[in-house]
Amino acid sequence: MSTPRECHSAVLSIGVAAPTLRLPVAQVAAGWGRAGGRGQVAVCGPSEDALTLAWLAARRAITAAGMLPEEIGGVWWGCTRPPFAEGPNLSFLSAALRLHPQSEAALLSGSPHAGIDALLAAADAVKSGRVSTALVVASDSLLPALGSGLEAASGAGAVAVLLAAEGPARLSQVSTQWSPVLDRYRGDLETETREVYDGRLFREQVFLPLCQTVGSSLSADPSTRWSLPDPDGRLGRTLGERLGSVQIVSSAARSELGDTGAAAPLLGLAAALGEPGNLIALGFGGGRATALSIQVTSPVPGSSVVQQHLSGGREVTYTEALRCRGQLVASGETVEMAVPPGSAMFVRGSHEMLALLGARCLACATVNTPPNVHPTCIGCGAIEFEIIPLPLHGTVQTFVVNQTMPAPFVAPLPLLVLDLEDGSRISCQGASDGSDLHVGVAVELQLRRYALERGVPIYGYAALVATASDKTIERPSA
Amino acid sequence: MKTPGPWNKVAVVGAGMIRFGELFDQSYEQMAAGAWRACRDSVDLGLDPSQVEAMFVATQRGTLWGQEGIGGNTVPSAIGLSGVPCTRIENACPTGSDAFRVGAMAVASGVHDVVLVIGVEKMRDKSAEEGLLARAAGGHPVYTRGESAPVLFAPFATRHMHEYGTTKEMLASVAVKNHHNGALDPFAHFQNEITVDQVLAAPQVCSPLGLLDCCPQTDGAAAVVLVSAERAHEFTDSPVYVAGFGVATDHPYLHEKQDYLGLLASRLASARAYEMAGIVPKQLDCAEVHDCFTITEILDIEDLGFCEKGTGGAFSAAGETAISGSMPVNTSGGLLAKGHPIGATGIAQIIELWWQLREQAGPRQVALKNGYALQHNVGGRGSGVSVVNILTRNAK
Repeated sequence: MSTPRECHSAVLSIGVAAPTLRLPVAQVAAGWGRAGGRGQVAVCGPSEDALTLAWLAARRAITAAGMLPEEIGGVWWGCTRPPFAEGPNLSFLSAALRLHPQSEAALLSGSPHAGIDALLAAADAVKSGRVSTALVVASDSLLPALGSGLEAASGAGAVAVLLAAEGPARLSQVSTQWSPVLDRYRGDLETETREVYDGRLFREQVFLPLCQTVGSSLSADPSTRWSLPDPDGRLGRTLGERLGSVQIVSSAARSELGDTGAAAPLLGLAAALGEPGNLIALGFGGGRATALSIQVTSPVPGSSVVQQHLSGGREVTYTEALRCRGQLVASGETVEMAVPPGSAMFVRGSHEMLALLGARCLACATVNTPPNVHPTCIGCGAIEFEIIPLPLHGTVQTFVVNQTMPAPFVAPLPLLVLDLEDGSRISCQGASDGSDLHVGVAVELQLRRYALERGVPIYGYAALVATASDKTIERPSA
Repeated sequence: MKTPGPWNKVAVVGAGMIRFGELFDQSYEQMAAGAWRACRDSVDLGLDPSQVEAMFVATQRGTLWGQEGIGGNTVPSAIGLSGVPCTRIENACPTGSDAFRVGAMAVASGVHDVVLVIGVEKMRDKSAEEGLLARAAGGHPVYTRGESAPVLFAPFATRHMHEYGTTKEMLASVAVKNHHNGALDPFAHFQNEITVDQVLAAPQVCSPLGLLDCCPQTDGAAAVVLVSAERAHEFTDSPVYVAGFGVATDHPYLHEKQDYLGLLASRLASARAYEMAGIVPKQLDCAEVHDCFTITEILDIEDLGFCEKGTGGAFSAAGETAISGSMPVNTSGGLLAKGHPIGATGIAQIIELWWQLREQAGPRQVALKNGYALQHNVGGRGSGVSVVNILTRNAK
């Protein structure tokens, strides 16, 4: 029996994000000549990945807490497969979230257990007093091995919580256990995640014993609601039965998105944070299981819109999903970006692209975008500016839908000119197929992957028709 | 700069081009040689190659092998004028028309009396994907990403339709008219008639623009000989004079336009050209304007003062811009039918006007009343550069 330890810190707010595509599992089965297959998994569109999902969930959590990004002490990101195997994952995310330039950051990775790892590491930073508010983000978008059972199970999604010393939901007990065994894994130099060697062996000797051990070591009663890992769509229910027919609240997110890996434990209980009572989140992966209990005393801000943010999505065929995941690639060459991702242009311009910054003229207040190519104001010719974050909301001045695009572009691609809320104007891509756009419609901007250039993700902002649930928070001008 | 009446310091005494099209069988150099020979042969009283004192080569980018960037070096050799001073000029879609203007200034400066301006552009030696479409990946990695050529103009169609009620049928009327004219032009890439229904039913390229709203990718070359006005009659009894010109620039990003209803660079450039020529738009007998897309011609005829802002669609649909209309526009077939080999485009437009003003345009001939004609290009990122040249057959 594992012995739980106490965990101190509380959840201030929550945000979730789901990718835009949904792949029916039956489509995957049909692709391999098999009948049947129930449910669906979420798939990232061409402009989405684990970082864009993390950004969206994080912004929603920050918005729900009513905080400014610069007030946050740091970001703890749990992600099995971040966009860079090595690279500026954290600085890109911090820049796009407009966090303080000296804010802390840690990336927890290596297995789907990384989401829980990020939460516990952030809780320790809060407990130690090093930061007063910590942003925890867990996101995943796996690349399942072709033909493996993971194709019907692996989804994508993100969840973010803000932690502080006090809040409407307190983290209370943690129990963890490891076992040095191989389950789902991806070796160095491998691109796709491999499934477990033997399903029965995994279930009986690895998954259920570890999860049962940590789950049963926490205080629980029949009213306790559980978020349980469910790697294949059945193990979650079995685990629930083994734990004593417990109440499972993670089923809704699981059936909407599939197994969201590192995001699964927190994503599974996100909606349940809206009701007072006891919750337990159980995370599993990489030969480790950890259970964490949370006492909700009042509804956590952000929890009421969780279901809305997870539902919807456009159904795609298996072929389209493969294309979006980069597993089905047309032969021939694609058009390269004029500037390589490692070149000086990106050293000069990366921050202002990621944080969507403009240069406001001190003389006439015209906003010049992007700043580093505007040494002289287009409004009045003055040369002194202040760098400001641009609003993420605006209306469509005009737009087109480009249907004729060479690879690697994916058509239809809307391109818009937006009038932002502060009176400034930018051009950007659209995140939809364009059929929802018209002159004057209100849109919001989301971080999206504009390109995967020579293997490097390039991020910018894309517009989509605004929803009422997302109200923006803007950092005041510096 | 300000002069009373037409400037007329420089005359066009020779003009020739090759038939535009997908010229897979001709090299960049062969196209240049073809245009030069046609131009040389067009000089009524003869031009000896040794009389050419300087050359300007107009090539915007080319898609051949990267050597077009040194066209100032390769073209003289290709046309048998190696040794002659030669400079390549690049200025986006107005590359050809700006080379013409620079050539005229070189003559007017008194440094050279006889100047050859030759535009040459290979658009089709590479696939469309690797050619013009590849610009979708050029420029700023975010703010211009996806911005292939139609994206520079289609947003104006969206807003013009929203603001003024311009319809897709009105846009289509431009393509129908220019294809009609192209069918009368032996140098045009496309020499077939089309209907409004065909334009409306064509596949979408960049909504709201469809395939037939867009000019093709075309290879071509065109050349003119400029001489000082005083020496014009050594070469011809029917010189065409440079009455005036104007160039203007605007900010390069799409989001930096003042509005999406017209092109500031065109308005500024044409105002300067009209002032230099000492005329108003009503005095023009015809015009060759930049119709890379149907909406562009509608913007142009408003910005150049042929009709009121917002009325360009109705003006076109009513037939006012036809050869027999009140203001004939793009009698050559325009970019839409004749083609748009960028560096050659502006010079080919000038050649059409040279024919019109000398009453050599055959079935495309317009009725000459005042003896003035206007040539216009606009382009670059954000349509940030425009060149207007005004020609006249009237001696000062």
